[in-house]
Amino acid sequence: MQFFKKPNIEFIANRKKFLILSGILIASSIILILVFGFRYGIDFTGGTEIAIKVEKNLETNELRKLLSNAKINPDEIKSYGEKNQFLLRLKETGEAANKIESALLTTLKDYNVQILKKDTIGPKIGAEIRVQAFIAVILSIIAMLIYIGLRFEFPFGFGAVIALVHDVIFTLGMIIVFDRLNIINLEINQGVLAALLTVVGYSVNDTVIIFDRIRENREKLKGIPFAKVANISINETLSRTIITVLTVLLVLIVMVFLSGPVLQGFAFTMTVGVIVGTYSSIFIATPYVLWYLKKVKKINVEADISKETVTAKA
Amino acid sequence: MKKSWGKILLVLLPIVISLFLLYPTYKASNLEKLKQRYLEEAKKAKNPSDSLAIIEKFDKQYGKELLDAKANRIKLGLDLRGGMYVTLEVDVLKMIEESAQRDAIDDIFQEVLEKTRKDAQTSDEDIVDIFKRNFDQIARPKRKFLSDYFDFGGEALATEDKIIEKLKENAKESIDQALQVIRQRVDKYGISEPTIQKIGQRRILLELPGVTNETEMRQLLQTTARLEFKLVRNDENLVAAFYKIDEYLKKEKQISKNNQNLPSIPSDTSIKEKQLVSADTSKTESSDTTLATKGTDTTKAGEKADTTDPYKGLSQEEKSRRYLEDHPFTTLFITNYMPPNGERTQYQRDVRFYNASQVPKGEYSFEIFQDVWNKFEAILKRKEVRALLPYDVEILPGAKPEIIKDNKGKEYKILSFYGLKRDPELTGEVITDAVATYDPTTNQPIVTMSMNSDGAERWAKITGANIKKRIAIVLDNLVYSAPVVQQKIVGGNSQITGMSSPEEAKLLKIVLKAGALKAPVQIVEERIVGPSLGEDSIQKGIQSLLLAALLVLLFMVAYYSVAGLYANIAVLINVLLIVGIMAAFQGTLSLPGIAGIILTVGMAVDANVLIYERIREELEKGRSMKSAIDEGFSKALSAILDSNITTFITGLILYFFGTGPIQGFAMTLMIGIITTLFTAILISKALFQITLNMGATNISFGQPKSVKA
Repeated sequence: MQFFKKPNIEFIANRKKFLILSGILIASSIILILVFGFRYGIDFTGGTEIAIKVEKNLETNELRKLLSNAKINPDEIKSYGEKNQFLLRLKETGEAANKIESALLTTLKDYNVQILKKDTIGPKIGAEIRVQAFIAVILSIIAMLIYIGLRFEFPFGFGAVIALVHDVIFTLGMIIVFDRLNIINLEINQGVLAALLTVVGYSVNDTVIIFDRIRENREKLKGIPFAKVANISINETLSRTIITVLTVLLVLIVMVFLSGPVLQGFAFTMTVGVIVGTYSSIFIATPYVLWYLKKVKKINVEADISKETVTAKA
Repeated sequence: MKKSWGKILLVLLPIVISLFLLYPTYKASNLEKLKQRYLEEAKKAKNPSDSLAIIEKFDKQYGKELLDAKANRIKLGLDLRGGMYVTLEVDVLKMIEESAQRDAIDDIFQEVLEKTRKDAQTSDEDIVDIFKRNFDQIARPKRKFLSDYFDFGGEALATEDKIIEKLKENAKESIDQALQVIRQRVDKYGISEPTIQKIGQRRILLELPGVTNETEMRQLLQTTARLEFKLVRNDENLVAAFYKIDEYLKKEKQISKNNQNLPSIPSDTSIKEKQLVSADTSKTESSDTTLATKGTDTTKAGEKADTTDPYKGLSQEEKSRRYLEDHPFTTLFITNYMPPNGERTQYQRDVRFYNASQVPKGEYSFEIFQDVWNKFEAILKRKEVRALLPYDVEILPGAKPEIIKDNKGKEYKILSFYGLKRDPELTGEVITDAVATYDPTTNQPIVTMSMNSDGAERWAKITGANIKKRIAIVLDNLVYSAPVVQQKIVGGNSQITGMSSPEEAKLLKIVLKAGALKAPVQIVEERIVGPSLGEDSIQKGIQSLLLAALLVLLFMVAYYSVAGLYANIAVLINVLLIVGIMAAFQGTLSLPGIAGIILTVGMAVDANVLIYERIREELEKGRSMKSAIDEGFSKALSAILDSNITTFITGLILYFFGTGPIQGFAMTLMIGIITTLFTAILISKALFQITLNMGATNISFGQPKSVKA
């Protein structure tokens, strides 16, 4: 089987169109982030989350009514994974939360209520996790910059980092879209954060494969303008890119649908990140290097691209 | 064939090693199933001794095996098996408050504490520093100094800087002590395989699998433990007070009886009556058992010697009844008496007096049935009763009940209790070390303890002033031991003898060493996973792992044909290795960990894809199969390394900045990357080479036919 037999797609020549597309996507993601903001999980805000399961059929609205009659008013009640499973969110922690928990158990006694899980995070820990998450993301970006800068050249490092920042922003934007449309529960918690950092790793991973080919081809195809070398390299690695994305996506989609509520947010974030990570390696990272060589280093990278494409093939 | 042997070994060895590492996990799970069967059988057994025998049979036959297997198996995370995950933080502010001298604390000091509490909620600064700043701002203008509140003993420690330094030192040490005390309490609670570890400077992380009673656990973790040395005051004054309590209770009963005849009962007395009635019935019951099992005529020596018998001329039966009625409190327990300066072995057992004035000088000891203790304690808690006891004395029970059997083999748990001087002579932080050992001359178990110079100095004074008296070692308000002071102990090195077993000595050592929890702890994070969610997560995790793997494997064969099959073998060995390595490091498999493995399956084939695409390219150029394979592997290497190292770096960062579950994910991700490099590069190459060595000239990489020509 072979999906691509010697592909020769003009990625580089059409880069401006994709740049505009990315620009629009990133701008709208940033607007979404600023306007709607994230819903943070209790990992970051502090508070208590109780997941319960009842034996009898119960709708979210009925549950809300039952609880409010018993003077229990959680900040949020929503379904959790399966039917008759609910997630309640409380601002309270410590003793206050324990009291609410026991009141909850008494109220729902007739429904054979069962606690599936309960998380309580003190406000101070929440603040700490928030700071650590921020440091982790920044650190990983710096680490990528340094590693690729050393293994290749620093413009490549910057290209990879710009691509991954692009990926993270876009993924965050999609998190807001899917969360607000209530398609999937996507508050920012530790799982989503882990996924974001894995996306950072994956985005760079994909970029590196293309950069590696460019490095090799620059030696091999001396005298040919950089834009052309880049385009050849992307085409040569295209088959690998598509197959790897396919296998990873296969796995992730299985996880989104099968792995249950705990891992769903993680799997979804990864899915979006892998797709955009692949896109950005081709349309952001490589064009940045091209732009840098042209504008900063004043190298003639294109030298009449349309003509050369034909001759190089011969 | 011959030159393939090394390669075959390279493929087989990781499989064998992984299986070897995973064997304990397999064995443990089998043995646990077997144990379950035994337990069910035991449940069905007709009588308790039969069922006990069944359980003992299992323990004898497989107990050690199961224990060994368990120690080397992969542990399941709390999210998979259910349990409680708790992060505790030492409450440094509370520690500061506790370190201050109790009678020196005033409104100014409280204000400083309050302000510090508020500031600390939003700041990451050292709490002692915040405290100092607030003290300078609030208390100092009012001409207060730290030395007004803190006394760490000695002039040298009285300067302001030294006090702050000492507070910081205490804060730092308290976490270790908390750790030890909590470990001890968790052990006592009987939780299997708990994880207790220190995180940073102030936190303790606990993983308690299978714990369902969170309220009880919370109490267990948050109660302050305090080791104190208190003077035992089991003297005539205490016993006299006990008899006064008798009188009071008796009088109270009479009053309430009289009141019953009155038309209106004041609400106050009705409450009293209720308490009395409930207390009274319990008393008669329990004192009956006391008399039946312990009371004998010969032990009533004190009574006989006394000439002022108010029940003179009554029948023995009537005497007993009247005595019980008149002494509702002292008949709850047994009082033993030792005359002043008497030999300690010559206790008079179960002495009785008629009233407080008859109590002779000397030393006493008390024993009570454990099931009566709560009633006894309830009476003591009453304000009116409390007022009758010496004001500086408190009554605390022993830590471990003594178990005795009567002729019929029925077990009784008997507690000792002690009257102790309320203010401790010394608290546990002066202890520097304690060792459980044997006395070289008598071969009896003993405990030796040493103290710091400050403690030793005070200890010398205390022991010097209390020779032949008893000093109780009290932890968590339980008396663990009450040794008699034999001589003045100078230098702080003391020896405690009289332990009945090495276990008792060991317990006392732990108490002495770990008992002084200076600072209370508070729960800052708590996660509880119910067992049903855990099972559900395992099921779903394994389902998605299997399905994802199946899809990837099918895809690889479809796309790369024979070479795809080789990649699949490499991926399977990869997963086996990940799990095997986790078992070797006694890692914990959690739900995010399973996610990490699933993701590795997806990413692991990437390395093979890179290589195969290269080989296809080389084949297209017209290279021979062998050189195309060599070329493909070597050219893909740098891309594989670079891409995996970047992912590894993010894994490292996740590991160091993440907590609990995230670390599990990061760990499997990193192990997965290393095993991927190993399997994708070395093992799949070995597979190709073995095939070529066997004489194959062509291996299908799934490329379309036209290209191959």
